[in-house]
Amino acid sequence: MEYGFTIAAYAVAAVLFILSLGGLSGQESAKRAVWYGIVGMAIAIVGTLIGPGQGLFVASLVLIALGAGVGYQLATRVQMTQMPELVAIMHSLVGLAAVFVGFNADIMINDIAAIYEANNLVMGAVSDDGYSAIGLPKEVYDGLSSFGQLIAKKTSVEINILKVELVLGIWIGAVTFTGSVIAYGKLAGKVDTGANKLPGGHMLNAGAAALSLLLAAMYLGGAGSWTLVLLTVLALFIGYHLIMGIGGADMPVVVSMLNSYSGWAAAAIGFSLGNDLLIVVGALVGSSGAILSYIMCKAMNRSFISVILGGFGGPAGEQMAVEGEQIAIDADGVANALDEADSVIIIPGYGMAVAQAQQNVAELTRRLRAKGKSVRFAIHPVAGRLPGHMNVLLAEAKVPYDIVLEMDEINDDFPNTDVAIVIGSNDIVNPAAQDDPNSPIAGMPVLECWKAKQVFVSKRGQGTGYSGIENPLFFKDNTRMFYGDAKKSLEDLLTRIS
Amino acid sequence: MKIGTPKEVMKGEARVAMTPDSARQLQKLGYDCIIESGAGDAAGYNDATYTEAGVEVVKTAEALWKAADVVAKVRPPTEAELKKSRDGQLLISFFWPAQNETLMKMAADQGTSVIAMDMVPRISRAQKMDALSSMANIAGYRAVIEAGNNFGRFFTGQITAAGKVPPAKVLVVGAGVAGLAAIGTSTSLGAITYAFDVRPEVAEQVESMGAEFVFLDFEEEQQDGAKTGGYASVSSPEFTAAQLAKFRELAPDIDIVITTALIPNREAPELWTKDMVEAMKPGSVIIDLAAEKGGNCKLTVMDEKIVTDNGVTIIGYTDFPSRMATQSSNLYATNIRHMLTDLTPGKDGKVVHNMEDDVIRGATIAHEKAVTFPPPPPKVNAIAAKPKEKVKELTPEEKRANEVAAFKAQTKQQVTLLGIGAALVLAVGLVAPASFMQHFIVFLLSVFIGFQVIWNVAHSLHTPLMAVTNAISSIVILGALIQIGSSSMLITLLAALGIFMASINIFGGFLVTRRMLAMFQKS
Repeated sequence: MEYGFTIAAYAVAAVLFILSLGGLSGQESAKRAVWYGIVGMAIAIVGTLIGPGQGLFVASLVLIALGAGVGYQLATRVQMTQMPELVAIMHSLVGLAAVFVGFNADIMINDIAAIYEANNLVMGAVSDDGYSAIGLPKEVYDGLSSFGQLIAKKTSVEINILKVELVLGIWIGAVTFTGSVIAYGKLAGKVDTGANKLPGGHMLNAGAAALSLLLAAMYLGGAGSWTLVLLTVLALFIGYHLIMGIGGADMPVVVSMLNSYSGWAAAAIGFSLGNDLLIVVGALVGSSGAILSYIMCKAMNRSFISVILGGFGGPAGEQMAVEGEQIAIDADGVANALDEADSVIIIPGYGMAVAQAQQNVAELTRRLRAKGKSVRFAIHPVAGRLPGHMNVLLAEAKVPYDIVLEMDEINDDFPNTDVAIVIGSNDIVNPAAQDDPNSPIAGMPVLECWKAKQVFVSKRGQGTGYSGIENPLFFKDNTRMFYGDAKKSLEDLLTRIS
Repeated sequence: MKIGTPKEVMKGEARVAMTPDSARQLQKLGYDCIIESGAGDAAGYNDATYTEAGVEVVKTAEALWKAADVVAKVRPPTEAELKKSRDGQLLISFFWPAQNETLMKMAADQGTSVIAMDMVPRISRAQKMDALSSMANIAGYRAVIEAGNNFGRFFTGQITAAGKVPPAKVLVVGAGVAGLAAIGTSTSLGAITYAFDVRPEVAEQVESMGAEFVFLDFEEEQQDGAKTGGYASVSSPEFTAAQLAKFRELAPDIDIVITTALIPNREAPELWTKDMVEAMKPGSVIIDLAAEKGGNCKLTVMDEKIVTDNGVTIIGYTDFPSRMATQSSNLYATNIRHMLTDLTPGKDGKVVHNMEDDVIRGATIAHEKAVTFPPPPPKVNAIAAKPKEKVKELTPEEKRANEVAAFKAQTKQQVTLLGIGAALVLAVGLVAPASFMQHFIVFLLSVFIGFQVIWNVAHSLHTPLMAVTNAISSIVILGALIQIGSSSMLITLLAALGIFMASINIFGGFLVTRRMLAMFQKS
């Protein structure tokens, strides 16, 4: 009876999770959608806690409370600009949890096998009906935990499938764990953001993957738990090396890819535990991350494979030399131009996040709008280090979301715009993507800000962007470089615009 | 190499192509500068200021033409002047090659290279050497000043103890560079300014200068200035009629008319007819900046000021820039200097006549004993805006056919995918036991739902989406919760760790999402 109740709770939770994701289609419904998610999670946990075989009720609650405390601290202290790091590091927790759960399953299988042996039976042997497994004597069976009972009922084929599933769960979980940690390090600037590979490059990854496959086969063949440990180590290495080899500019894809992985890991664990809710949620998260990665890759005009295999490829030929000079301008000049402009489009990028300049950008927007000028924001799909990163930062600074537009919505408007302000973005406004077939980013859709009458680029110095590509935009005749830290420059500018 | 500037031989030409300032800059490029004695006098620069700037002053024009490798001047050379030049010498000046073909041939035969400042292509990169624009700017300004000089009243309206003064009403026809400069000057003097142009897209520029754009009630294909390098082209008879009717309506009210309408390589269009002049109040002023090309008003006499029988002053001067010689010399000399900067990539005082460069190629009309006019169209479009390719209107049948084809392709693709998917599932079903397949169905359906749902998520909500999916992926906590009750100590420990980490994620993820979503607000 209790078991039925748990399943029912799972069904309700699954529906709520689906609604929660579906609700994100609009800003207003999203606020409701989060509550669906929260309630769904609560129902799922409560359902499990009062379900069968839950032994350490109090201990579990204490642990959840502890985790809640840590999570609360993390979530409330984090700056909006650090959101990518937070999401990345949280993925690693899911990955690690999946690894633990997977190992537990293995340990349990071994335990049950030992119990069978102690009762002079063979685990997984099929009974006379050729279908169900020969169970343990009832008194032994009843002494097991619910998970133990689940495994004890399995036939040998089912046990093997269970093993496949838990190997998958552990492997994906481990890759997610180290991958997320490295992604976190890169995003937080603690690890070199370049595309670094150990000698051997992809061969190393391929070798490790092949070895994993071999170990998995050995494990299934009954070689023992040491293979599983070794396999985990290999997976950890792959996760580390894979993400190390991907440049900082590709981080949005990496983060959403890891998101997807953590989902698949959960689904694999769900299979091995025979838990449908885990499968449902894992599949939802997995497909969500996969779609996000796909959208990001499309926005960069690159195939998913080439992003995952790391870094920008070498240029196919001689890149166009950039002519001309970068002409600097001071705050007075920008202020004058803004004063005369009727329509302004602001293009924020990662530089704005780094400089924490979003509040000043918002203040500038408010003042310009108060003067009756049209101010809008153009957001490239891969601006920032996380899908939708810029939207969140601007929202934090209370920029109304209806003036924040996507690339496709606003690209045609640049020719009618007086001033385009580029704040800390580079590759996403690089005209070489359209003009220079040899550019590494050739064909990537970009914001055509150079078509505006005047372009101001707020930038720290003359260096190239994350991807290390020279940007002809900075050399155009209608471009003026507004050098300096974005936050300071904008503060300077604000003193000149009342 | 030596850059030299002779005194302008044309009577009344006060401008000079080199100023002490520009000479200093040219010396930085590695050139030596020479100038004919007295060349800058009319522009307010005497020989001493040149000497001070390190310019060598030579007595005669002959000596100058002989010494200089590059000759920079303002007006097109006369035949006599051109004879003084020699093979390999470079001449930079206005030239009007379309009108001065014999002169151009002569230069080519002699081997003189000629860069015509009036042929600098109208692309953004060349703006700094666009002498036509810089001169037009001055002409526009001066036109208003000249009008004010001949107009008996204030520009601005005033109410004084001695009575009320109405503001002057100024109409500027043609909002090119000169027109816009005139508008700016006129509005800043306080006049009520109207402006007209055949290119409706300049209305915004006109309004930005503080004038009111005169719109016609006329529906026709609009001229796209970008196609013709920013210049106006000939308009249709109907359009012209509508335009004249509008002017006729305005004429009695207007005090000052400044016409600047020019079409490249054509006689100026007649825009201000005799009857309009007659309809104007006595004391009104017409400044015809198109006088050189026959005038926008047919009563205009080139280079002269006339007063009509009804007391309207018509000014047809063509030397407005020369009337402000200091200013125009400054700007022109700067244009010349920019041209030389482009000609001297090495900054070593050596001219490199790069015929691959759009700007240099476009402006060069004679080079290496050959006439190189007219130039090929520049590689870069005049004004960057590419006209949008017109998508061909499809007939309803074609549309229908396309739709059907697309639908078929889609169906085919979907069926193929479904076929492959179904085959794979069936293959799994052959080997896997029923208990696995039950879960597998759930898995497949969930992936399916996931794909359907996620496509609808708004772009701007991708970060919250990741935070939410992150939070709910910690559903692995259920696995840990089930396992924690186990008899094995190791299992319990690992499960406990799992619960702890997953719950960090649950709370952290949802809280962060809430924080983010709370920030999104409408304006």
